[in-house]
Amino acid sequence: MLWSRRTVFMALVVGGPVVVAIIVRALVGMDLLSGRGMVDGRPITVDGPIIFGLMIWGFYLRFAVPLLGVFYGTALIADEVEDKTITYLFTRPLSRGAVLVGKYLAYLVSTGLVVLPSVMLVFFLVVPVLGGEIGSAFPSLVTDLALLALGLAVYGALFALVGAWFKRPLLTGLVFIFGWEPIVVVVPGYMKRLTVSYYLQGLVPHAMPQEGLVSTILSILQANEVFPSAAMSVLGLGAILVGGLGLATWLVERREYVLEQ
Amino acid sequence: MTPIHDQSYRRYAGVRQEPGSAWLTIATTGIRTILGKKLFLLVLLAAWGQFFVRAVTFYLSANFPNLEILAPSVETFRQFFEIQEIFVLFVTVYVGSGLVANDRRSNAIQIYLSKPLSRVEYVVGKLGTLVFFLLLVTLAPALALLFLEIMFSASVAFVGANLFLIPAITLYALVEVLLSAFTMLALSSLTTSARYTAMLYAGVVLFTAALFSILFGITNSSALAWLSFRANLDQIGDVIFRLPPRYDSSWFLSVVVVALLIGLSVFVLERRVRGVEVVT
Repeated sequence: MLWSRRTVFMALVVGGPVVVAIIVRALVGMDLLSGRGMVDGRPITVDGPIIFGLMIWGFYLRFAVPLLGVFYGTALIADEVEDKTITYLFTRPLSRGAVLVGKYLAYLVSTGLVVLPSVMLVFFLVVPVLGGEIGSAFPSLVTDLALLALGLAVYGALFALVGAWFKRPLLTGLVFIFGWEPIVVVVPGYMKRLTVSYYLQGLVPHAMPQEGLVSTILSILQANEVFPSAAMSVLGLGAILVGGLGLATWLVERREYVLEQ
Repeated sequence: MTPIHDQSYRRYAGVRQEPGSAWLTIATTGIRTILGKKLFLLVLLAAWGQFFVRAVTFYLSANFPNLEILAPSVETFRQFFEIQEIFVLFVTVYVGSGLVANDRRSNAIQIYLSKPLSRVEYVVGKLGTLVFFLLLVTLAPALALLFLEIMFSASVAFVGANLFLIPAITLYALVEVLLSAFTMLALSSLTTSARYTAMLYAGVVLFTAALFSILFGITNSSALAWLSFRANLDQIGDVIFRLPPRYDSSWFLSVVVVALLIGLSVFVLERRVRGVEVVT
């Protein structure tokens, strides 16, 4: 999986934040970025850890992780069907479910090997700027890395199910992450519990800086009970992971894939 | 006795078409193929959902005086396009991702260009398919809404007072559709996989949006809105609909970025859509 053309796409997705981090570092080095500004007449200061928190949320959790999940997760079975190679896999002396789980684990390792180093690079480039300290921000890096690994695992499992179920899994996946999730998350009631991002949001504030503008906004949102508790989030994500992968395995075991001539 | 048919040379008995009209055949064939897909019809129905909801609100506001709050305004039509953006993304991905990539995969471009068909006609034909469906979810419902407003209110007062809406709707729809169509077609010509193209396009749109929101968070200014694919369209849209621009950046800069993106896409298409690849 790592030595394929897809890795170029993955490198572009996770390379973008690194390039932005380099630019931010250069701008701060040239005194072109001060991190000070005004919001509603109040002076605010943005430091390295806050910028890192913004990048983790904006680039990785909201962009890279769902996109890589859709791209690789839906491809686990759909690509084999499209390339008409699924027959060779299913004639091997091992269960169909094992094939899917094996491919899913390969996805986890290959995306993890690319995404997590990218986060490390961004951390060391961005956190020390504008008065930030690597030492004090390091625990949040560990939390962020765990969160990203969890996000990759959950989105991958969900889209493995979509790939095993639907004939056009990519469009279904894109509709889910860019149509369903952003709309349902703001709808009052229980609807938002049918998304992955709702549970991920519940864990993000623990990984983000506790001071500054971002945490202020998050605390306002939390006061309105927008986010679930950490325990509920882990439980929800675990259920999606196990349920998604389990259902995908069950489907692959039973479904007959008809190859188009 | 079975009749023996003459298999020797015969003159072409068909209708000769003017050079330059072959693109229409490609476009209509593409449109027919897409319309035959049930899933796409569902996407199209969902894309028209907003039209039906707005039509009901227009009817209520026109017939029940106490529901005047639902009356249409210029902002209503601007918001209509904003909500349609998500469907523009889905239709672009569904229809456009395989337009050139699938032909490259099956080496069909060589077969296309061995016919009396120029590269420009090929590209325009493919573009026509995508543009048709994109206009079907942007321009067509917006103009239909304007028409419904006249019908329900039995008056041309609103349209008369906002006559600029007709060119504004047309112009904004064209800018949005042409940018999406050219970008997608250029990306489609870069690979042989429709899936890969779809992800590249979604990646470009979403990465630039994420980039802008993060820079907004760092600098507390929207002066870098021109970096975002969508923010450029939003900025241009506000100006076209005579509303105050929502970002600090110049709207003219957004126009330049959109023009550059379309120009870059044309350049990529010119380089990639060739009958024979010359390796030096």
